[in-house]
Amino acid sequence: MAEACQVARKQDLPPPGGYKPIPYKRLPAKQLFSGYTMFAGFLGITAVSSYLYYLTSKKITKQEIEMRSAKMAIYPMLLAERDREFLKQLRKNRDAEAELMRDVPGWEVGTYYGERVYKNLPPDTLVQPIFHEYYAHCNPTDWFQRAYIKLRS
Amino acid sequence: MVLTADIHLPEESELTVEEINLSTATLRAGSFHLGKYCEQANNEFMLCRFEENDPRKCINEGKAVTACSLEFFRKVKKACLAEFNQYTNCIDKIKPLYTFSIIINIVFSCRKTQGVFDKCMLENLNLERPPFGYFCEARVHETKRPKPPVEEKAVYPDATPGLPENAEKHPARFGSRFYWMTE
Repeated sequence: MAEACQVARKQDLPPPGGYKPIPYKRLPAKQLFSGYTMFAGFLGITAVSSYLYYLTSKKITKQEIEMRSAKMAIYPMLLAERDREFLKQLRKNRDAEAELMRDVPGWEVGTYYGERVYKNLPPDTLVQPIFHEYYAHCNPTDWFQRAYIKLRS
Repeated sequence: MVLTADIHLPEESELTVEEINLSTATLRAGSFHLGKYCEQANNEFMLCRFEENDPRKCINEGKAVTACSLEFFRKVKKACLAEFNQYTNCIDKIKPLYTFSIIINIVFSCRKTQGVFDKCMLENLNLERPPFGYFCEARVHETKRPKPPVEEKAVYPDATPGLPENAEKHPARFGSRFYWMTE
């Protein structure tokens, strides 16, 4: 025990010449632009991009007008064809209803036992039936395709 | 159904005419010249359709439109088939660009083939491509069809009679007739 105490002890001391100074000084990031330059840059980029946006929007408007022209030119033709097809289908629907309700006593086509839907309109007025009525007598698959696929695509 | 037996619907034989059996690309390729060629029939039909608001009353005008369009495409087939097919093919194969839900770039990406087609149409059929935005302009159309009668305002016999012309008008109670300011 006594021998152990006789080991030469060395005190922990600073290195010769002392410790290095502690680096407490602030080291800010390198400044590439000053504040005024950044404001000027923002304004410049905004101006240039606004001009480019203006040019593009003008171009797109022109394209839209041309596209709309093309559509409007063929619209009467498509509408004429659609009208004929629509009237044919209306007739088919009415015939189908007459056939379906043939055995029901007191049933009149297009009415609820003689009570009209639109009482104040003249009798020969064509009221376009709603979607579900128009597709009432068709295959449900066609109805589904028209309602959920064609109209949304 | 709302279709009663009183409503006159035309027979199927009245409505059956030769339809235009063409694809979208074909119609789009020929649209400008078609609109110019059939302008009279188209205007007549559209005026009738929007004035009458009844498809039954404009069947004959519609048939005229279809006949005119058929005639146009037959003429194109006779005169400029190769150029037209080239242009149609370009429009068909072009990859459309969808911008703001409007398909753009269909008509604009085929300017070269369009130029060839336009030149052929001008030389053979003497049909010029209408200027920019021609079909978007408002137009006035003269027609021989009589104007449909305007629905008159309904007159009710038991309506409350209004004040007579020479009714006495008292001064306003609070100095103003602006009731929302005073009362």
